[in-house]
Formats: sequence, structure tokens, C-alpha cells
Amino acid sequence: MRGIQLPLSQTQKVRLQKALEKLESISSKVNSAASVIIADSIPVNHEDGVLKGHGTIDLNGEVVATICGVVERVNKLVYVRALRSRYKPEVGDIVIGRVVEVAQKRWRLDINFNQDAVLMLSSMNMPDGVQRRRTALDELNMRCIFEENDVVCAEVRGFQHDGLHLQARSRKYGKLNRGQLLKVPPYLVKRQKQHFHHLEEFGIDLILGCNGFIWVGEHIEAKDDMVEDQVSQSDPQVLLPNKNCLSLEEQEKNYTILETRKYICRAANAVRVLSMLGFNITLEIIKGIIDLSISMNLDIHEMLGSDFCVLVAEKEVERRSSNKKKR
Amino acid sequence: MAGKGGATPATYSPSPTTDKQKPALFKEDWVRPDGRGFHQCRPAFFRTGAVNAASGSAYAEFGNTKVIVSVFGPRESKKAMMYSDIGRLNCNVSFTTFATPVRGQGSDHNEYSAMLHKALEGGIILESFPKTTVDVFALVLESSGSDLPVVISCASLALADAGIMMYDLVASVSVSSFSKNLVIDPVLEEENCQDGSLMITCMPSRYEITQLTVTGEWSSPKINEGMQLCLDACAKLAKIMRSCLKEAASDSKE
Repeated sequence: MRGIQLPLSQTQKVRLQKALEKLESISSKVNSAASVIIADSIPVNHEDGVLKGHGTIDLNGEVVATICGVVERVNKLVYVRALRSRYKPEVGDIVIGRVVEVAQKRWRLDINFNQDAVLMLSSMNMPDGVQRRRTALDELNMRCIFEENDVVCAEVRGFQHDGLHLQARSRKYGKLNRGQLLKVPPYLVKRQKQHFHHLEEFGIDLILGCNGFIWVGEHIEAKDDMVEDQVSQSDPQVLLPNKNCLSLEEQEKNYTILETRKYICRAANAVRVLSMLGFNITLEIIKGIIDLSISMNLDIHEMLGSDFCVLVAEKEVERRSSNKKKR
Repeated sequence: MAGKGGATPATYSPSPTTDKQKPALFKEDWVRPDGRGFHQCRPAFFRTGAVNAASGSAYAEFGNTKVIVSVFGPRESKKAMMYSDIGRLNCNVSFTTFATPVRGQGSDHNEYSAMLHKALEGGIILESFPKTTVDVFALVLESSGSDLPVVISCASLALADAGIMMYDLVASVSVSSFSKNLVIDPVLEEENCQDGSLMITCMPSRYEITQLTVTGEWSSPKINEGMQLCLDACAKLAKIMRSCLKEAASDSKE
């Protein structure tokens, strides 16, 4: 049973049921008649001529579904939108991935897609911010930029002959540290104008990756993109990745204060609650949940309790119905 | 099995009773251990979404046979594998230590894994995910006869749940033969003393068969009867599976 798995008391169950029913009634456009499962024939008007799209197949002149989902029609095109499937990248999507492998001039990233994505060394800005040809030395130093298992933020560049390519041509992309990576079903993250968010009041960054990976971390000031060529260019040398032997000074620099850590956890739990309830994940809603939890004086761990979840569901009903009235 | 025990007193295990039962089966008024009719299947139960971490999963229960199947992927094939235009299917069937009445090792079952692969291969549109692999892991929680058919049906449901393109759901049913009787969906006791078995895996709404396994002695009229029996049962089983998916689809929508 994939529903919501929470130890609910009787009253909580009733409240949650009510909230979900209300949500259903608000989003009235969904008609269950359009949902199909594998090998259901999709009724089409053959005189017009149909274009069979994703998730359909022709069987003795009938259009038949090959995945479970909802039938969508755009003019002549008939396709099935899957209920649950892996992330489908689109050009320009902001994604978060984990480095699987460091290879020749490229990193391989797991981005929750069918295949691993490729981030070329040449399609990302160097940490020193200088635009130049990548030399063999840069290749040797690749592990200083990203290592295996690092969490990286990047943009989808497009499909090339050898797979899905990413790019990271700005300061806002790159390695993510001092924070939490959350994995949610990709359909909960909708494409928006903004995927990078800075929650000033809490001092945290929130990145909503289109692939369902969400990053919550300490805010890092984006430095100026273009740094002038400086003296440091003097002696090129092979750098060693020095992850484990940070100097004390560096450790101090990397220290995250307790207050911020708490906010990170709070935001992360807000995302967890939303994914548990199956609600869309947007900045506005996350902020609402954080504020709600603070105003109720809840501890961080209590946010995952069933009581709070029910409350969030009810708040969501309120929010959506008020949104509807405005329109 | 019992011969060994005489020489060295091994650890205790319940004595296998199947040998003694065998003569009883030839009697005219024989009834099945669970009191079913000869052409009656066990009640089937399916549920999708049993494993949260998997991209798709299903749980199936046929009488006492309980199976859980999880599907991962499609994900990138291992580097060592050669390039291929079509997707790969990787199946693995394993048993828990407590699956059988005699406590076992809980090991992988290579024969079943290969059979599961063959049975599912025909139902999946492998062209839809080139260069990638789909992993199907089946775990038999409790083995009580007709394990493989249950695993196959459950796996096709898990694949559907994972959003993998398929021609049709794959349903599977087996039949045991006893001298002149045919018994559908045999339980463990019956499987142990059968004369022959027949398993059909088919896609009912396309009326296509993806796998047919016959063991033991069969005459042609009997095989015809057995196949007809299986196909009918598969069609009914597919109906149950579809209703389970329908239910899941209406649940997950808001």
C-alpha cells in the first residue's frame, strides 16, 4: 500500500481523510475515466487520424496503453502520462546529482534518470573563475573539483551522441556541501522560474532539483563570476585532494553554527512531510510549514509526527481553496 | 533424505511425510489438502507499492505462498556490459531462510531466476530503454507450492508499478497431473508427488504465450486440456491483477 504510512489515531485519520477529500474536490479537472493501465485500449476517433505518443502501441488497429497512467490528448496526439516513473530530463532543467565516477575529462553523475549524466570538464567554470583551455593538468586535478559521492548542482545541457550532458557555467552551480540532500519523487517538483532559493530569515539555501533531489544547506554567498587573472597562476602543479586533512583554520571556516543547522533540519523535515503527503514542493509551501512549526513551538523531530502531518494537510486545503477564490 | 539420518544423528528436522501420502492420491475419493476442487485456484491477493525504496514493487499471496517482488531501474548498465540497443532485464529469485517447512539456507534460486527472465522478457518493450538495465528481485517469503507462477505474476505487476512499458500484464498458472486427474495451482504436497507439471505464462488480452514449461509424462489430449485450463485461469488471474492496478491508480491520484 503506497498511501500515507503513519501511525494515526482515529480522529487524526478522520481529519486527514477529510482534508484529502477536500483537496480532491478542489482539483476538479481530474477525471478518473482517463486513467488507463497496461493493455487497456484507448478510445480514439480513427477518422481524424491519430498520432500515437509515448506509452501507446498499435494492436490490430486499436491504440493500446503500455504503461499505467493518465491519457493526455493534444490535438491529434494521444499519449499516456505515467503515474510513477523516473525523471525525464528537459533542456535547461536544474538538477542535483551525485558523482558516480571520475572519468576522462568528465564526471558521471547519478541524477535519477535512466542513464547517468555526463558533466564535461570543459562545460564547467573552473574554480578560479578563469576562462581558458583545459589542459592535461586540469584533467589531473579533476578530483580536487569533484570527487566520487560529491553532491553537485548543474543544468541540463542536452542530449549528445554519448548520453545526457550537463553544464555548470556559473557560480551558483557546483559542489554542494554543508547541508542535506533529500530525495523525493520527481513529479512533486514542478518546473518554475526559480529553483535556487535563499531563505534569508534562516540563512539557508534551498535548491529544488527538477529530478526530485532537493538540497537544503547553509547559505553560501555567490562570489563574483569573473576573477581577474592574478598572481596565483605562477606555478602550475598537481594538487592533491585534501579532504581528510583540513587544517584547523579551514575547519573553523567550514563550521556551521547550531542555529543554522537547526533551520536546515527544519526545512529538510518540511520537505519530508510534503513528500510523505504527496504534495507539490514549492518554496512558498516549505516556508509556510517552517513558519507553522516555529509558531507552534515544535521540536524538529516532532515535525515528522502524525499530528503535524495532518495539520499540514489541513493547511494545504486552506491555502488551495483561498488561492481558488482569488482567481 | 531419510537414509542419511540413520548413520549420523543429524539435527532434527520434521520427517518428510510425502512418501507415505502417495498411495492415497490414487484413490477415487481423494480430496486436496486444502479442500479445493481440482480445477479451483487458491484465492489470490495482490498489492502494489510494498517496497518504498524500489521504483516499483508488488506483494502477492496465493494461499500460503507469499512473494514480494521489487523492481529497480531502468538504470544505466554496468560499464563492463557491451553496448546494446535494447534494455536488459536482470532477474533474481531468492528464498528466505524460513520459506520452507524445513529451515533452509535462504539462497538464490538460479533455475527460477532464469525462468522468470524468460517469462518476463516477452512482455516488456525492451526497445523503450536502450543501454539500461531493469533489475527484478523476487523474494519468496513463504513457499507453499506453485512458487514460480506466483513470482512471475507478481513481477509483472511490479514492473507495471514501476512505469515500465509492457505489451500486457503477464499472468502465470501451473497445473499438476496425477495419473488421470489434472490439478490446478498445486500446493507443496501435491507438487512433491505429481506425475508431471505444466506451466503457462501468457498475456491474456493479446492471447499470446511467453513461456510454456512441461515436465513429466503427458499425453496429447491431456496436454490440451491442461493448457485450456491454464489459459482460462490466466485470464481470470489477469483480471484480478488489473483490478489491483486500477485500485492503486485511483488511490494515488488527488
